[in-house]
Amino acid sequence: MARVNDPELTKARLHLVVEEMYDRIVKGEPPTMTLPVRTKNNIGFDKKLGVYKYGKKRSTRDATSLGSAKNLLRALHVVEFIEEMIEAGKSSTLREMYYISEGWGLGKFGGQNESNNLAEDLEVVTSCLREDFKLRPEEDGARMIGNVTLNELNRRGQWMTINARDDVGDSGYGLPYNVEIEKIQLKEHDVKFLMAIETGGMFDRLVENGFDEEYDCGLIHLKGQPARSTRRIIKRMNEEWDLPVVVFLDGDPWSFRIFASIAYGAIKTAHISEYLATPSASYLGITSDDILAYDLPSDDLSKKDIEALNAELTDPRFADGWWQDQINMMLEIGKKAEQQSLAKYGLDFVTDTYLPEKLEEMGLA
Amino acid sequence: MGGVNRMAGIADKMASNQKQIAISEFFEKNKHFLGFDSLPRSIITAVKEAVDNSLDACEEARILPEIVVKITKIDTKKDILELQTEDNGPGIPQKSIEKVFGQLLFGSRFHAIRQSRGQQGIGITGVVMYSQLTTGKPTHVLSKISGEPTAVSVNIGLDTRKNKAVKSEQTRIIWEREDMSLKEHGVQVTTRMKAKYQRGRQSVFQYLRMTSIVNPHAEITFVDPDGERFHWPRVTERLPTKVDAIKPHPHGIELGQLQRMCRETSDSRISVFLRQNFSGVSMRAAKELCEAAELSVSTKPKSMKPDDVRALLEAFQGERTIGGKVIKLLSPPTNCLSPIEEMLIKKGLSKTIDSKFIATMTRAPTVSHGNPFQVEVGLIFGDGMSADKHVEVLRFANRVPLMYQQGGCLLTKAIESVDWRQYGLEQAGGKGVPKGPAAILVHLASTNVQFTSEAKEALSDNEFVFEETRKAMLEMGRGLRKHLEKKKKMAKTREKFELINDILPAIAAKSAAILERPVPDLAGSITKIMSAVICNETTTWNKETKQTDVSVTLFNYTTRARSYSLLVNWPEKSGAEIVENERGGRKEAMGIWGWKIETLEPGEQAVLEYSLSGLEKGDWTETEVFFRGSQDVIGATKLDEKMLVEIRRQEEVLTQSEETSVESETNSESSFEPGVVEGDSAQTTLFGGDV
Repeated sequence: MARVNDPELTKARLHLVVEEMYDRIVKGEPPTMTLPVRTKNNIGFDKKLGVYKYGKKRSTRDATSLGSAKNLLRALHVVEFIEEMIEAGKSSTLREMYYISEGWGLGKFGGQNESNNLAEDLEVVTSCLREDFKLRPEEDGARMIGNVTLNELNRRGQWMTINARDDVGDSGYGLPYNVEIEKIQLKEHDVKFLMAIETGGMFDRLVENGFDEEYDCGLIHLKGQPARSTRRIIKRMNEEWDLPVVVFLDGDPWSFRIFASIAYGAIKTAHISEYLATPSASYLGITSDDILAYDLPSDDLSKKDIEALNAELTDPRFADGWWQDQINMMLEIGKKAEQQSLAKYGLDFVTDTYLPEKLEEMGLA
Repeated sequence: MGGVNRMAGIADKMASNQKQIAISEFFEKNKHFLGFDSLPRSIITAVKEAVDNSLDACEEARILPEIVVKITKIDTKKDILELQTEDNGPGIPQKSIEKVFGQLLFGSRFHAIRQSRGQQGIGITGVVMYSQLTTGKPTHVLSKISGEPTAVSVNIGLDTRKNKAVKSEQTRIIWEREDMSLKEHGVQVTTRMKAKYQRGRQSVFQYLRMTSIVNPHAEITFVDPDGERFHWPRVTERLPTKVDAIKPHPHGIELGQLQRMCRETSDSRISVFLRQNFSGVSMRAAKELCEAAELSVSTKPKSMKPDDVRALLEAFQGERTIGGKVIKLLSPPTNCLSPIEEMLIKKGLSKTIDSKFIATMTRAPTVSHGNPFQVEVGLIFGDGMSADKHVEVLRFANRVPLMYQQGGCLLTKAIESVDWRQYGLEQAGGKGVPKGPAAILVHLASTNVQFTSEAKEALSDNEFVFEETRKAMLEMGRGLRKHLEKKKKMAKTREKFELINDILPAIAAKSAAILERPVPDLAGSITKIMSAVICNETTTWNKETKQTDVSVTLFNYTTRARSYSLLVNWPEKSGAEIVENERGGRKEAMGIWGWKIETLEPGEQAVLEYSLSGLEKGDWTETEVFFRGSQDVIGATKLDEKMLVEIRRQEEVLTQSEETSVESETNSESSFEPGVVEGDSAQTTLFGGDV
């Protein structure tokens, strides 16, 4: 889904938040801020968009306790700060905003968490992206290798053309935090599909073994729970180039969640799922039956793992039969396995045997 | 000198032994209860005897005590310490010095009963003796009495065979202080002994610290063997009230004592003897006692046979009756007790422990088995103390610290019997000494303190004392819980005020600025946010006026007009007066003042301001506010009218008893059943509930 960055619209939407507070005071009521409930109980499948979005549940933060009143005041400071940045053509990291808040007196943040959460709150309420707010995350963008060519606007304001196979070293092309159209243009490619990989070790193994060239694919390192820009670039390549996406992760409950955030949308960012989620992405492995079929070295599930799996059973994003089977099977065998456990059969096993077999099943090789 | 009464017990002991034993042998055999059974304890005992003497002497002479205790290491290998104590007491006349320091069998009138420190040990003579036995050296005494130009300087040793003091090197000297000024009066004692100086819970330091808590009128300085100086300042100019000696009460007397009294009296008729030597015996009661004991009223006490004395004792104790009726006796008077008093305990505690909350309570005096007694407790709670350790238990009997055998002591048992968990302290299983940042003080004032053993470190079981102590503890606990609840509530109220005073105006200003609109009025939002009536109290010490300023503000943050009566507590009993009270009001009961707040419109506030005079800094730091009215008030307690009635009732009882005490004991017709505690033991205080 394409997006247009419109600073005036962003400002207007932020003003609605301010107006809600102002109008309540004028009416002689405590000021409030109304926002969607951000839990798994309030996400539902949007048929039109094919992703999970927040439902209708709203919560009202009103200034009847000191904590929430301070929160409202902080929100006002953030709104003002964003407007200033928009006007000055600057951006700041969330961490910088946290430090800038030192000068906000009563409205200063108590911790970095508060500033991150408030930025998310404002996104949710205004349906804007934090990129619109000129706020950058600290988190690292992904690495990418493969025959894919992009144009990136560099800091001198010039468009650079980069091929993610020929113009980069072994660590690949590093994605910037903003991968929106004003910063990144997708130029051309010669790949059949994209493979998103959880761990750096496995990404490097596939690079070293020349897997991207042999199987004509783009490799993307997720670095654990993928950053927004990572999910966004996958989504754009999937949508704009119509490329299939396969996701290759560890075989444990947390990997299931990573997949869900890529394919269906994350609970925390359900307000912008249509920009971030790739509904057609498929889970390659490690699946619960891989653990048995390949007799992979495995660890026992911890108490937390079991809790996570049980929570996933009631998560609407895992409601379909295949996922229910995978989760139940993992609970039954009580085991989890890492991607790199495939090395049990040698360094090349993953590229010579495991992946070709799995891709064939999926009709991609 | 106060070291007089304590000799009586020892005198009895030795007299009854008939045959004369060597005094060193006696000492050796009894050193466990004389307090010299271990090297660390010996130095504590020595300090204790010297300091008790000084405090008693100052009290009798109505002098505010200044005591300096100094311990020096003389020979570390052989554990020889030197102890020097100095006071500003009246001094001991030259001719009495050997009696005070060197005579073990220095008796006194055995039937004088009063609350005194000296119910433990054998006094300073024991120290002189221990010093001589362990180092072979005499004790040096320097004594000056007011009006004489010079002081006596003398060495006192003991002739252990003749049981006599041996004086040597007696001279008269000019006693100069360190600053060259002349010492007006006082005693200095310097003595060497085999002993070990230790730190910790059982130490000279702890003994002096505890002593200073219960003697807030004393100024005590301690220099330890490392030369470190500790100072506990005087926090009140008020000396303990002078106590009268009372005669023994028939319910509290033992056979031996009765026999001795009969033997030694010069009265020729038993009826006269009974009336004149006992408290609580009226003319009628004396006759009835004789009748019950089957004795003629004209029996001569001196010629009574052992069986007669026993019969008389049985009549005392209600075992002999007249036709099944126990002879009614009057209660002994309780003005023979000298409690420390709530306010002074508070001061004493707060000078050694830095803390936010102190509750103290002095129970009304009462009687157990013919012995008047009174329990006082204090509880101090706050950040200054360790939160994960057992609370410190500070036990005292007649102002003397009890440092050993804590577990076996009645006072400890009373503390342990309370479930402190409900009052905000930790306590495993609701039993035992609780844990938390607190210290608990218990003081028993009595004419007859009963110990579990001759070591005299733990009080023996007594259900009346136990109940009194326990009740006082429950009261302390309720006070603590209230304090903690109030603290929580106040924190919440403070938050609300921050919200409406700081945050809300900032929200209004900022949102108006962003939208470029005028700043809206906040009154409506404030009422909705608070939606309550709030009371805010501050109690502060005013350095300039030397008064305690109290300010109570009542805010009406509701949508309707309200009217209330506001009441506050104040330490009327401690002699405080309400001054600069422009809004007037009236006294509602002892220590309770009230004002009427007629109409408080929505958004309005009412301020009550007054000052308390006659108090010192730290005496009164928190005022409790009560209200009468329909709408709840945050920061104040709804008045329990029953409590007010109870306080008024007690006040009446108090004034009546004051009147009757003027009249003298013999005419009062209140009667007394054996073993039953009489008098008004119910006390109600602001912490609520019946005790």
